[in-house]
Amino acid sequence: MNTVLSRANSLFAFSLSVMAALTFGCFITTAFKDRSVPVDISVTKVMLKNVDDFTGPREKSDLGFVYFDVTADLHPIFDWNVKQLFLYLSAEYSTKSNALNQVVLWDKIVLRGDNTKLNLKEMKSKYFFFDDGNGLRANKNITLTLSWNVVPNAGILPLITGSGHISVPFPDTYETARSY
Amino acid sequence: MLSVFNSVPTHMDYKGQKLAEQIFQGIILVSAVIGFIYGLIIEQFGWTVYIVLAGFGISCLLTLPPWPMYRRNPLNWQPVIPESSGETREKPQENMKKKKHK
Repeated sequence: MNTVLSRANSLFAFSLSVMAALTFGCFITTAFKDRSVPVDISVTKVMLKNVDDFTGPREKSDLGFVYFDVTADLHPIFDWNVKQLFLYLSAEYSTKSNALNQVVLWDKIVLRGDNTKLNLKEMKSKYFFFDDGNGLRANKNITLTLSWNVVPNAGILPLITGSGHISVPFPDTYETARSY
Repeated sequence: MLSVFNSVPTHMDYKGQKLAEQIFQGIILVSAVIGFIYGLIIEQFGWTVYIVLAGFGISCLLTLPPWPMYRRNPLNWQPVIPESSGETREKPQENMKKKKHK
């Protein structure tokens, strides 16, 4: 503390320690919060095609097309320890070959300060809904859920599934595949 | 170059050092508490960081330069002991230097 540099050093070290303690406080105030909100998903249209799966050396595979509406209010999730949300819509179903299949159909990033009211109509899926065989045809229980990653300032990166899902049956017949 | 910097007096006396440390710790802790509460209320952690940085800047201004309030209790040096004529030329100079530096 006798010279400018030694004072600057102790001042800087003390400030850093205080900042670290504050960051931990920010984490601890939000660590036990429930970040699940109700989500309303509805499916407006389902199409099923049987096309060549270009992602692997397989024969023809089932390709589903799902058009959906999503309504949710994400505002309760945001607080001072949330930078952004990564939302994704996934389809879960079981086939003869696999007890659980999970396919991500669509995703969206909601930044802090963005509109938190989700009201999406007639959305097309962003990614191909390929099954690794013919498990989609006449599958009566394909469940769509919306989940999200909470990206925090400090702390853990929780993975949360919204309450509210929908199960849709897929058709028994293929549409004639012209293009996909 | 370095001697120019070394000749600038930056010292504080012992009580001044203690006072400086108490001042910057107090300022930063108070700004941390204010920033934490303010950030919690407006739900913006960025403002907590800004307020702590403001406290850091204020305490830099208050405690880094050797303001007169940190130099009120100078050490009482013993008076120069007169010695043989050969060393009297150097000793007082050294003492003066010491006083300037510490």
